[in-house]
Amino acid sequence: MNRVAEVQGIQKAYGKTQALAGVSLAVEAGEVLALLGPNGAGKTTLVGILTGLLAPDAGRARLFGRDPRDWRARLGLGLTPQETGFPPTLRVAEVAALVAAHYPAPEDPSILLARFGLEGLARRLAARLSGGERRRLAVALAFLGRPRLAVLDEPTTGLDVESRRGLWKTIRAYREEGGSVLLTTHYLEEAEALAERVAILHKGRLLAVGTVDEIRARVGLKRVAFEAEKVPELPGVARREREGARVVLYTPDADRLVRALVEAGVPFSGLEVAPVRLEEAFLLLTEEAQ
Amino acid sequence: MKLVWVHLKAELLALFRVPGFLIPTLVFPSMFFLIFAVPYLKTWPAANQTTASFMTFAVFTVVFFQFGVGLAQERENPWTTFLRALPLSPYVRPAALVLAGLLFALLAAAVVAGVAALSTPLRPEKASPLAFLAALVLGAVPMGLLGVALAFLLSPRAALPVANLVYLPLSFLGGLWMPPEALPGWARTLSLYTPTRQWAELVWASASARPWPGGAVLALLAHSLGFALLAAWAWRRGR
Repeated sequence: MNRVAEVQGIQKAYGKTQALAGVSLAVEAGEVLALLGPNGAGKTTLVGILTGLLAPDAGRARLFGRDPRDWRARLGLGLTPQETGFPPTLRVAEVAALVAAHYPAPEDPSILLARFGLEGLARRLAARLSGGERRRLAVALAFLGRPRLAVLDEPTTGLDVESRRGLWKTIRAYREEGGSVLLTTHYLEEAEALAERVAILHKGRLLAVGTVDEIRARVGLKRVAFEAEKVPELPGVARREREGARVVLYTPDADRLVRALVEAGVPFSGLEVAPVRLEEAFLLLTEEAQ
Repeated sequence: MKLVWVHLKAELLALFRVPGFLIPTLVFPSMFFLIFAVPYLKTWPAANQTTASFMTFAVFTVVFFQFGVGLAQERENPWTTFLRALPLSPYVRPAALVLAGLLFALLAAAVVAGVAALSTPLRPEKASPLAFLAALVLGAVPMGLLGVALAFLLSPRAALPVANLVYLPLSFLGGLWMPPEALPGWARTLSLYTPTRQWAELVWASASARPWPGGAVLALLAHSLGFALLAAWAWRRGR
């Protein structure tokens, strides 16, 4: 497979805090890879290393086969950083022109701005945009240079539902044209909706990498939920939770659990059996690691 | 090269779109000049020397604060972080910042020259203009580097007050506000050890078409090297 970006054995510490403790990961050409993890997991540090902003303490980073700190490696890169800031003195069109000037064959800024719902704002000072508009501009800038890889660090944070769906459409269209995406996100539905593969980062280590289905299988549990007053000890329960009146049990063998539940003669209602959602798989994996 | 121009344009727009920054910075040295110097300038040699002093002071102000305080504030800014991730060689932005600072500094100096032409018996034809310009730029190098060093040494909040603590004594001791002969005795001795005095010596020489004193050139180069090393050390420490 053709790798557009990869890190091998990356370590990075800030003082005594180990942000990344030996991470290896690759983004394949034409895929959307979602990087999931709680705050402080090391996602933004990994993004910083892949985009040449940070130097790793140990390990190797490659972007299109070069060191990401070599500016030529970044000709095929578009970035939306987690934090959005624009100079107080530049207009939207000037910001776009400045960024476009760095790429050999950029998109037409006005067409791109329109695609992100920013038409009519070209003369506005970028710093005076609303929070959502600023975020959309930051995402638009990542696609301005027709990159082969777009690195989007929590792109939809602060966007309303409509803008978020719009961005998802843009990302899908971009991938269909052959682009690759590395996406960090807190929204698990976003990873499920967009990504071929998911990597889960926790406390500077990768807990799991795989397709959404593989991550689910890795946890290998079914979720059994029902309403009941009291629940006796049941066989094969990996984990139990209570959500108000509902009892939620995680088990590798849902059939056996339900049979035991019926045999125990406990009155219950609203039985639901489902494979674990990514959100739960994610929680289970991070708890396992603690 | 094209990218240097693109970034230079953005920097200049940033300077010229904030009149609250632009006008005081351009007017301040000239105002000082009008109040404290103009009434005493009765002959052309005095006018030439003192105008040169205040032009140096104008360049010093811009270069030092643009690099000192400006860089300290820019460091923690998400926009500059974003710019660093663009495909551009690491020399482009520093080159654009230096050019913008220099253009702005020379503009501030030109305002002083304009004021002097109108209010003093200035004789610009007695100066050697190219050497004069070169002296202004050469002395700006160590002072800009000192600003960079302070920017990397200090937190953005501390940068402005500390920069003032360095800037005001250096201007005074360097003889940029009054000729060194007019300084009190202790200051006259200290003056010889300041980079601003060495800078002024070059500028004064060119203001009356005398050759540059070699010692001052050497002193400026030595200061440049020292401040460059300090800046490099402070930059590494911050990473």
